[in-house]
Amino acid sequence: MPAYDFPGGIYPPERKSRTSQAPLCAAPLPSRVQLRLRQHAGNPASPCVAEGDTVQVGQRIAKREGMVSANLHASISGMVSHIDDEAITIDADGLDKWQMLSALDWRTASPHSLLERLEESGLAGLGGAGFPTHVKAQVAGHHAIDTLIVNAAECEPYITADDLTLRSYPHEVLDGAQLIAKLCGARQIMVGIEDNKPQAIQALQHVLTEQQHPIEVTLKVIETRYPSGGERQLIKKLLNRDVPSNGLPVDVGVLCHNPGTLLAALHSVRDGKPLVERIITLTGGAIRHPGNVWVRLGMSVAELLNHAGLSRERLYQVISGGPMMGTPLFTLEMPVLKTTNCLIAATRDELPPVPAESPCIRCGACESVCPEQLLPQQLHWYNQTEADDTLEKLHLFDCIECGACSFVCPSYIPLVQEYRAAKQRIRLKRIESAKSEHAKHRFEFRQARLAREEAEKQARRQARLAQNRQSTTGPHAGPNTAPVADLRSLRIAQTAAKAAVKKAEKVLARATEQAPNQRHDDLEIQLATAQENLKAADTRLAEARAAVPQKEAP
Amino acid sequence: MGETFSWWGILSAIGVLTGLGITFGALLGMVSERFKGEANPLVEQIDALLPQTQCGQCGYPGCRPYAEAINQGDAINKCPPGGEMTIHALADLLGREPAPLDGEAATDDSVAFIREAECIGCTKCIQACPVDAIIGAAKQMHTVIEDECTGCDLCVAPCPVDCIDMLPRAKPLSQWQPVFHTTPSLIVSDRASARSEHASL
Repeated sequence: MPAYDFPGGIYPPERKSRTSQAPLCAAPLPSRVQLRLRQHAGNPASPCVAEGDTVQVGQRIAKREGMVSANLHASISGMVSHIDDEAITIDADGLDKWQMLSALDWRTASPHSLLERLEESGLAGLGGAGFPTHVKAQVAGHHAIDTLIVNAAECEPYITADDLTLRSYPHEVLDGAQLIAKLCGARQIMVGIEDNKPQAIQALQHVLTEQQHPIEVTLKVIETRYPSGGERQLIKKLLNRDVPSNGLPVDVGVLCHNPGTLLAALHSVRDGKPLVERIITLTGGAIRHPGNVWVRLGMSVAELLNHAGLSRERLYQVISGGPMMGTPLFTLEMPVLKTTNCLIAATRDELPPVPAESPCIRCGACESVCPEQLLPQQLHWYNQTEADDTLEKLHLFDCIECGACSFVCPSYIPLVQEYRAAKQRIRLKRIESAKSEHAKHRFEFRQARLAREEAEKQARRQARLAQNRQSTTGPHAGPNTAPVADLRSLRIAQTAAKAAVKKAEKVLARATEQAPNQRHDDLEIQLATAQENLKAADTRLAEARAAVPQKEAP
Repeated sequence: MGETFSWWGILSAIGVLTGLGITFGALLGMVSERFKGEANPLVEQIDALLPQTQCGQCGYPGCRPYAEAINQGDAINKCPPGGEMTIHALADLLGREPAPLDGEAATDDSVAFIREAECIGCTKCIQACPVDAIIGAAKQMHTVIEDECTGCDLCVAPCPVDCIDMLPRAKPLSQWQPVFHTTPSLIVSDRASARSEHASL
């Protein structure tokens, strides 16, 4: 047992035995799948097939878009029947014809080809966050990684998908871990697992004793306590390292992966099989055959639960994900996503409705269970007045949304839901202010452009006038006193405009150096604005000089 | 003897003090140049609170001119796109009394849409757009860049064939804001019925 510990945590009833003892089997092939374009963190993928196309299992149907995004592949063979902004629907032909990629040996393949394969296969974290795996592997390129953690804690009640994955495929998961560790240059692999999974621990120990691994693997069995499976908590527990506020595990040299993701990574490299299916826990009192099943992505939740023997009379609510962090589904006509790890069809007795909320009594129970050592009470208080600056100062964005505070609250205040809403509210505000900033720069650019055009027009008119005067009355000095005073201020304006251009160039260059992959639209507009201003100043100065040529000559 | 000595003393004192003055003056000057803080006068702060729609409904040609006018003492309630939120923010910043909005509050976030079949290519809307969000050329069809449009509707009035509509802007799913009641205004029986409505799948 490691000596380190994370603060807080709770002990909710586990209810895992119902599914952990049933064998892993495959769900029937769906007759129709609906594949959402955004099943991962980041930008939605963009479709690369058309309605009416015939596709095979594993064929790419949507391409990743932008930096953080993942490819999407057909999970059944058949015909693309519908495409819209949200999803691609495929009607099955029942043949289940596969289209595999070439097999690679991860021991000998180059890191570049491995990365390319992870990207091509559309891998995303299967634990729930759905972060694209190839991006995570690339992030490792900018940071020194020394440890890969296999996050097998699976601390949420009900869920046993990782447990079954480890028991059924211990070799593959550890090989997948070796693959990812090699890719990110980790020197050691740690498997963090809670002590309520003795069979999985035994299976892992068996593999570790009989097989030699190039990168050292340590198995760490930890106490069962929610939320030990949060990456920050697990890193604290296994390595005693604190992930900084607003930081990522890579900042402390650690990468966390879910066993399911590692298995999928190995399948994509060793067998050339893109991510088209995953293991899901089907559980809850309203289904007759609870257990873990291999499910093709995009299968409808209703079809899947009916297969497991759903009793509509006993059903109270269906939760996608665990009971602590999952979301209740308001409709069963939902497809299975890459991030769906569990479906709970709960009866009313099992997950009863929350009693009515009463006022906060300042008991402090939430503070003692918060694994991030935040002040849930204060957050609740300031959220009521939408004091967003204060919320950010109280590290709202460090909240991992584990729900421990809501679980213990004697007043039944839906604290974690409040924090989620507040986070989204602040995010939207940020988007809004970025947008208005952008509009401001475009407005300024337009003003500068109009000023430049006006100055040029003026210059042309002056030139024409001067020419006319020359041809009719000959050289004519005219009243020169006003333009001379003007000349000085114009020269100052021109110098200031030059300095502004230089400054804008410098800022843009610095930003490009720091983040070469990002676009700096606003900075580019600012530079263009400064250039327009300079042009206008140049034109005005030239015009004034043309009017008084003899005074300017040295 | 004493006289020359005192002259020397006076001159040296003047010299030393002048030297000190010049040295420290130069030093302070250099420091103020070197560590110049980002200037953020009140106009900038006011401008930052305005929504930057550049719609001109305040009577000024853009947000920046209105910010300057507010700084000169103009009323803070002339910005319909900003609404109550902006008025309160400005009142907080300037220490003035918040006043009710002058004019109609903006409804939803909207975006201009040109019915391209009807467009005659007169470029009037292009000239009216404060953020250069309309592309097109004379006698060519025009169209609006959706991401750049601020929904100010300044392009609607100049159009001679009335082919510009203001449409509600589609919100991406990722920008969905949960409707969440923090105020315990429901009585318990209401809450129970609300919950059962939600729960019925």
